[in-house]
Amino acid sequence: MSEATQEKASPVEPTRGAKRLKRVLLYAAATLACLYSAWPLLVMGLEGYSIDLSPFFAGRGVRLVGGVPFYSGGVFPSPIHYLDALVIGAFPRLVANSLIIAFISISIALAVGIPVAYILARVEIKGKNIIAYLLLALRTISPFVVIVPLYITYSRIGLYDTYPGISLAEDMLVLSVVVWMLRGFFADIPKDVYDAASIFGNTEAQVFRRVVLPMVIPGIVVTALFALVLIWNEFLIAVTLTGPSTKTVAVGVWTGMTENQVNYRSVNWDDLNAAGTLAFAPAVAVMLSIRKYLAKGFSLGTAR
Amino acid sequence: MAKSWYLFLVPLLALLSLIEFYPLLYSIYLSVTNATGGFSLTNYSAMVRDPAFWTSANVSILYSLSSTLLAVGIGVGLIYILAQDFRGRRLCEILFILPMAVAPIVVGTLWSPASVWDDIQSFMHFVLGFHYFDELTPLFYFPVMALSEAWEWAPLIMLVGLSVMNSVPRAIYEAADLHGASAWQKFRMVTLPAIFKSPVTQFVLVLRFIDAMRAFEIPLSWANWVGQPNTIGSPVDTLSLFLYKLLFIPSFGFPIGLVSAVAVSLFGITLVGAVILLRLLGAIGGITK
Repeated sequence: MSEATQEKASPVEPTRGAKRLKRVLLYAAATLACLYSAWPLLVMGLEGYSIDLSPFFAGRGVRLVGGVPFYSGGVFPSPIHYLDALVIGAFPRLVANSLIIAFISISIALAVGIPVAYILARVEIKGKNIIAYLLLALRTISPFVVIVPLYITYSRIGLYDTYPGISLAEDMLVLSVVVWMLRGFFADIPKDVYDAASIFGNTEAQVFRRVVLPMVIPGIVVTALFALVLIWNEFLIAVTLTGPSTKTVAVGVWTGMTENQVNYRSVNWDDLNAAGTLAFAPAVAVMLSIRKYLAKGFSLGTAR
Repeated sequence: MAKSWYLFLVPLLALLSLIEFYPLLYSIYLSVTNATGGFSLTNYSAMVRDPAFWTSANVSILYSLSSTLLAVGIGVGLIYILAQDFRGRRLCEILFILPMAVAPIVVGTLWSPASVWDDIQSFMHFVLGFHYFDELTPLFYFPVMALSEAWEWAPLIMLVGLSVMNSVPRAIYEAADLHGASAWQKFRMVTLPAIFKSPVTQFVLVLRFIDAMRAFEIPLSWANWVGQPNTIGSPVDTLSLFLYKLLFIPSFGFPIGLVSAVAVSLFGITLVGAVILLRLLGAIGGITK
């Protein structure tokens, strides 16, 4: 009763009931959005264990038979598909390949990119805009323009299916990202730091080496991790330029799983899902660890 | 003094020559030579006369438009949720960015008719009472394919939108409060215009559109799910997938000239996008900021 009188007393203010309804709606929307984001990943992880959730909706799934929970989802849960992926699918080898390729590729990109990023952020030289715009334009190139000639050239000079060959090619993916991300980290260092360092008689190169570079090492680590995920997830360049001995994770998950099929009904889904889970889980972990910087990375440093 | 800095640009230009300029020129060369090695535009005329090329071009445009718009819609929804203050907001934020970390080739598998859509089918059939629908019709699988692309990249729109939103001066929201604006009104009249007028957002949207124009992995998976891994001109063939099939299906006979011609044309299209990007970059403040 008292609630009703309160509502009458202040007709302009939203009533408590309306407020509560809004809360409920908000939580419902948030829950729905969380399910939408994470559900596909959860389904993939579970189906790798042969746990198929769809029978639950059909009123089958787990039910009590004589007081004992009984699972009737078709196949019994088992880790066999994960073990298959690890052993028969040669997953450790794929991971090693991915990491080696990423390591070479990122090392080259950092060695080439760190000075360039510093120049873009701090040094006034003529024509640096051209470099920046060139890197941006190259970011939009279709890989096909590049991989077909590279495939022909690599086959000719014996770089096809080798670590250096594929690592160089992956640099076309990460180089611009590395330069643009690092440029942002260099630009974030206050100008006072440069001024203070040069007052003590350091040359520009010394300021860079002794003061700026140590300050930006966390940024370099973030950039390297971001590039690592990009290469780990990259498929098109890898599937074209790697062969049996340098196959990466993304390629390994796909090829072999999808041979001799007519449509999706003839795929071995449990194996594919187990391999897919093993492929996305590390990438998700790394991305979450650097999630503060994702906007920066994916927008080429324009968003912060 | 300043001149020594130019030395650091040499490795960059060397690397770019090796992995970008040289292949690019090689592609252009391949696209304008015929089988005997002479100059000719037969590859381009063959491309223009190929109906599969036009189908793929249309599919690409439809795919990138619909997936970008969907990503914007979903991204705005996610921003709206995160703009509110509630318990569990941080967990939501973490869960929302998960899709971005997943390899596109895995996303193609995640959203296949056998995984998530199997659950949704069962839910709709057994709980809501709908008829089973046929997953192998383009009217079903094309939207789902575009949706899975949007699923992966909506978090990017969300992240960029949030970073723009945080730069809106608090005074504007306080003024809106004084006028008695509701949370929804503030979102619609202050936050949304701020987000979409920002050149940063526009930059990311154009970048996303260009990337979607080159989309490859998700359509490749769907070509397998719907049983069209070996045909060209199917409703899942984007330009990239069209090129991939021409290259890797032996029966097409490795038509390197045609492939180069299509690739160079695709390059031309994305270059237009790059010019737009550069103009937006100028509006952001460019690299001199």
